[in-house]
Amino acid sequence: MNLDTIVFLVSAVVAVFSATMMISQRNTVASVLYLILSLLAQAVLYIQLSALFLSAVLIIVYAGAIMVLFLFVVMLLNLRGNQDLGDKPSPVSRITKYLVSILLVVELVFIIRGIGFDTGTVGIMTLAADDFGSVAAVARILFTNYLYPFELTGVLLLVAIVGAVVVSKREKSYETPAGSGNMPDDRKKVEI
Amino acid sequence: MTDYVSILSIDLSLVAPELVLLAAAALILLFIPLRKMVFLAPVIAALAFILSFYLAVGQWHYSGSGFAGLVTCDSFGVMFKLIFLLASFLSLLIARRFFVIKGIDKPEFYALLLFSVIGMMVMANTVDLVVMFLGLEIMSIPLYVMAAFNRRSLESNEAGIKYFIMGAFASAFLLMGIAFIYGAAETTDFRRIVADFSYIVANYRIYLYAGTALILVGFGFKVAIVPFHTWVPDVYQGAPTPVTGFFSVAPKAAGFAVMLRIFLYGFERIELLADIFWVLAVLTMTVGNIMALRQDNVKRMLAYSSIAHAGYIMIALVVGGSEAISAAMFYLVAYTFFNIGAFAVVTILETRSGCKSDFVELAGIGKATPYLSAVLALFMFALAGFPPTVGFFGKFYLFSAAVKAGYIWLAVIGVMNSFVSVYYYLRVIKTSYMDPYEGQPAVVKLVPSIFLVLIITAVGTLGLGFFPQKLLELSQAALFAFL
Amino acid sequence: MFDYIFLVPLIPLLGFIFNGLLIGRVPRPLISLVGCLTVGVSFILSVFLFFALKSLPAEARFIEQVLFSWIPAGSFQVDVAFLLDPLSAVMILVVSGVGFLIHVYSVGYMHSDPGYGRYFAFLNLFTFSMLTLVLANNFLLMFVGWEGVGLCSYLLIGFWFEKKSASDAGKKAFIVNRIGDFGFLLGMFLIFWQVGSLHFDTVMKTAPLVFTAGGGLITAACILLFVGAIGKSAQIPLYVWLPDAMEGPTPVSALIHAATMVTAGVYMIARTHDLYLMAPDALMVVAVIGAATAFFAATIGLAQNDIKRVLAYSTVSQLGYMFLACGVASFAAGIFHLMTHAFFKALLFLGAGSVIHAMSAEQNMRKMGGLKKYLPITYPTMLVATLAIAGIPGFSGFFSKDEILWKSFSSHYGHPFLWVIGFVTAGLTAFYMFRLIYLTFHGQERMDDKTRHHLHESPRTMTVPLVILAVLSVVGGWVGMPHLFGVTNYFEHWMEPVMTPGYNASEGPLLASGGSDTGMEILLMVLSVGLVLAAIYAARYYYQKNIQAATALREKLSGLNKLLVNKYYVDEIYGAVIVRPVVYGSIFLWKVVDVVLIDGLANGLATIARDMAEVLRHMQSGQVRRYATLFVTGVLLVIAYFVFG
Repeated sequence: MNLDTIVFLVSAVVAVFSATMMISQRNTVASVLYLILSLLAQAVLYIQLSALFLSAVLIIVYAGAIMVLFLFVVMLLNLRGNQDLGDKPSPVSRITKYLVSILLVVELVFIIRGIGFDTGTVGIMTLAADDFGSVAAVARILFTNYLYPFELTGVLLLVAIVGAVVVSKREKSYETPAGSGNMPDDRKKVEI
Repeated sequence: MTDYVSILSIDLSLVAPELVLLAAAALILLFIPLRKMVFLAPVIAALAFILSFYLAVGQWHYSGSGFAGLVTCDSFGVMFKLIFLLASFLSLLIARRFFVIKGIDKPEFYALLLFSVIGMMVMANTVDLVVMFLGLEIMSIPLYVMAAFNRRSLESNEAGIKYFIMGAFASAFLLMGIAFIYGAAETTDFRRIVADFSYIVANYRIYLYAGTALILVGFGFKVAIVPFHTWVPDVYQGAPTPVTGFFSVAPKAAGFAVMLRIFLYGFERIELLADIFWVLAVLTMTVGNIMALRQDNVKRMLAYSSIAHAGYIMIALVVGGSEAISAAMFYLVAYTFFNIGAFAVVTILETRSGCKSDFVELAGIGKATPYLSAVLALFMFALAGFPPTVGFFGKFYLFSAAVKAGYIWLAVIGVMNSFVSVYYYLRVIKTSYMDPYEGQPAVVKLVPSIFLVLIITAVGTLGLGFFPQKLLELSQAALFAFL
Repeated sequence: MFDYIFLVPLIPLLGFIFNGLLIGRVPRPLISLVGCLTVGVSFILSVFLFFALKSLPAEARFIEQVLFSWIPAGSFQVDVAFLLDPLSAVMILVVSGVGFLIHVYSVGYMHSDPGYGRYFAFLNLFTFSMLTLVLANNFLLMFVGWEGVGLCSYLLIGFWFEKKSASDAGKKAFIVNRIGDFGFLLGMFLIFWQVGSLHFDTVMKTAPLVFTAGGGLITAACILLFVGAIGKSAQIPLYVWLPDAMEGPTPVSALIHAATMVTAGVYMIARTHDLYLMAPDALMVVAVIGAATAFFAATIGLAQNDIKRVLAYSTVSQLGYMFLACGVASFAAGIFHLMTHAFFKALLFLGAGSVIHAMSAEQNMRKMGGLKKYLPITYPTMLVATLAIAGIPGFSGFFSKDEILWKSFSSHYGHPFLWVIGFVTAGLTAFYMFRLIYLTFHGQERMDDKTRHHLHESPRTMTVPLVILAVLSVVGGWVGMPHLFGVTNYFEHWMEPVMTPGYNASEGPLLASGGSDTGMEILLMVLSVGLVLAAIYAARYYYQKNIQAATALREKLSGLNKLLVNKYYVDEIYGAVIVRPVVYGSIFLWKVVDVVLIDGLANGLATIARDMAEVLRHMQSGQVRRYATLFVTGVLLVIAYFVFG
């Protein structure tokens, strides 16, 4: 067991653990903080795979920008503690939920177990120094071979922006819904 | 890692139809601040669809690949592009009037519609999993927003949120599947996966299979395969009706375009696939039909019916082979005509004030608007698969392809299911013609755009029923170039 | 001349389009004119076509007219094409001829109905569908007509949809028919799968090369097709829709029972008889079901009091005869009976319609009686029809029924037991039909004064068709007199080019001709005529002379056994030993099998579907977390299948 393996195991455990903690928290701020922790641990994994640029982007964009945005949203919405997260699910559906999740994990473990770990070639310590994963290398391939998906990603981001604007734009007469009469009935209908 | 592709060598005609739509979408977005130009938005979108259709037709015999192999243009993809364009053009014509009446006519809608179609065309126009995924997302995000487009209606907002959450969920699985496949094959290009197939199976069988399963889940969500269908009724019912009509056809066709490509032009060698599709197809059609039996809302009924129709089309995935696939394409074209037609009628009827497309609202329209209800009846007959509508031939080709390939039980179950479906389709006709109606006769105003939709869909439904061979030849030719 | 074949179905379609598009926009006379004239023209055309066909030499009487290629894709070739041969020529004559008379009759019968235009539109569509069905030269086009007929019957039976029973009956007819269609469709798939074509001529010619005679596949295909025929032609166990179909207007019943719809099954079997000849087991099934239906429906007919219901069960019974004929490979006899039956059954229904018209919509025969003098035209015409259906020598029904009975005895596929059933049924038929006549037209007048006051003969548009049909009911059978009488059997002769196919031509007495055992044939004929006369006498005895006896019999059966000792004691024992079990059996069949079992089964299936929907609804809770759970469960199962499977 070399240093690479130890680093890998530690950061992998942290990543999975904090991801789990993130979704099981009822306190949204704690959730966000766990997510940042998970992303940091993942960045370490990227470094181990020689994807230096990717790991930097992960930290700057996700842990930096997007997470801060999330925190702002959480604070603006002023959610505190266990409030405002709806009713608790019934015991049966809670048990099913856990059961299904655990089974899924078991299955995934089974799949991954199919391929043994080859510790010899994994990790930055053992890798020959070339420009793999550098900004230049990523950029070169991104703007030539992967130009099409790259441009598509641009379209995707544009779409997401337009969509977000449409959804969040203030509706003039939102308070007095036209057409439909009483809303509680509407909801009931949908839940048939 | 030295064989980079020069940007200059890229042939843009491969993506010309997409580019037209993109330009139109950008133009509409630019117009939004200019309040006086807003009325042009649907016109621009319609013109873009027509131009794009023309360009796509031009691609029919032009097969080629570009962008470092990430774009693959073939007549199979073109066939699906034409379906998307037809469906979205018809939906556009329906939507405008409805949105004006409901007071939610905003230019963004047309931009979103265009974007969504771009995503679908990207999906159909490639054999690379990454590009397929990007196409799927470009298609889906506008769909989520379109579902929630009627911001004044709680149902519509709920539909958008639900669709978004479930869609994100499905995308996660899809992405994981692609990762597994990449892990096994070290490529996302489909032709290379197929070329190395036996090697991959020998060494990384479990990754390949798990990846395939997850990809199935991801796209199965879009075409609403049971048990990944749960969002459909809520979203279809909540979304604005013209949007629902669009949902029921175009994204489904996109999902099938990818599934047919992935699962039948490469992965069919995974022998387990046919069996799992058999089970899922039977589940999908049966659950869809049985649930549709007891609905009080026409839109919700049509939602379940669209699930059932996905089940019929899945027969092609079980059977495989060019005959079944061309049958599936035939069915998708046919389905575009009569399902959009049905939604067009439902939309018109919903423009009456206070209507939510419940069954009871259909009572008496047989007397009040005899022609409209006759057209509605025609579409119901087509959905139920009666001759001489095209619906009959769609089912006939699918079932006979199943029988020819030896899947007799599948055909039997399909036929039985379509008999069950007769009940609820006829219920629409029965309600509109036979149920007593009290109060004022319905006032329904037909505007030219919707009239045009009804003409196109009705002529398509009946005309292709009398002369189905042209379409069948076309869908066979689409495969011919590919094989 | 043969270029005009396509006009035969097309003209009624034009009538449908005209009346359908202009509902409520045109005056009634124009509706009637278009509605009747279109069918009339198509009848005249049929007559011309018939004679044109007749002028050809026998082996050339096979005309195909390809209108356009419907689906010429690859190996799958289907044309919209019509086939005129002796069989379809007879069929179009019957369909358009009887259909025309019914259209004319409807003008009078429906004169005050608000849905007049709609009615004629549907009626024309019905005729069009049936003509398409019989003229089609391939299975698929036949199926189009087949579905069209089913759809029209749904629309017409449920014509008075304000009445719940009517719209229920329409639904029932439709659903039961769809069960049959299911079989037909599967049979069609099976044939296409094996033969690679749906073209009748190709299928019949290639079938001997593809199928092994008597093998499982051909038997399965024939039985599946027969399931379709069972549904359409109301045989056991799918006959239940036909009696309920009485809810529609009476001319519609006449159309369904006589000229169209129910005869489709018989026609289809005659059309595909080459296949059936290769599957003796399927033929046996056809014969047995036909005979059983003939008998049981007749027994049920004994216990009915509604005039239209008696006729409905008699139709089921007569259709059983036709299937019996087909089942003993005597297809010409089956079609012959189809034709004569079309005449007299149309007459009976139209007559019954006239009676109901006169009786202010009363259908219960117990409230009629003595109508003879009020209905001077209806009575004799109905009597003629009754004599025909009972099989009195000289009337049309005698010739066709007697031929079936003889063939069921003498044919290669026949069996004396089948003859016995047919023979007994003939007696029962005579009994219940004359019971109808005596209860309706003879004896005391049992209606109330108000109804009596209103009694009147129907208008000319209704009585003229009755008279024409009465004439046909007599002379219609003369074209098929048995060889026994020393004359040519024109009908059998006419059908010969169709009915003696290349296959099996050399294999002996498959299509057994009469005259092989003249003594036996005469004996059987005398026996059946004797039985019929006895049955008529019995009916007269119970329902005219001694109506109390009938009442007594009835009361005794309902458990009130007080009248055991009366002056008819001996006769009653005599009657009871035979009649009572039969009546009980028929009541059992009607009450238990029909109502409980079959209705129960149909409703049960519906309930199961509903309950399943109820269970499935719980999945659709509207809560995203449940959706997600279900989703993940699906993922689990799919992955597990791939990874562990």
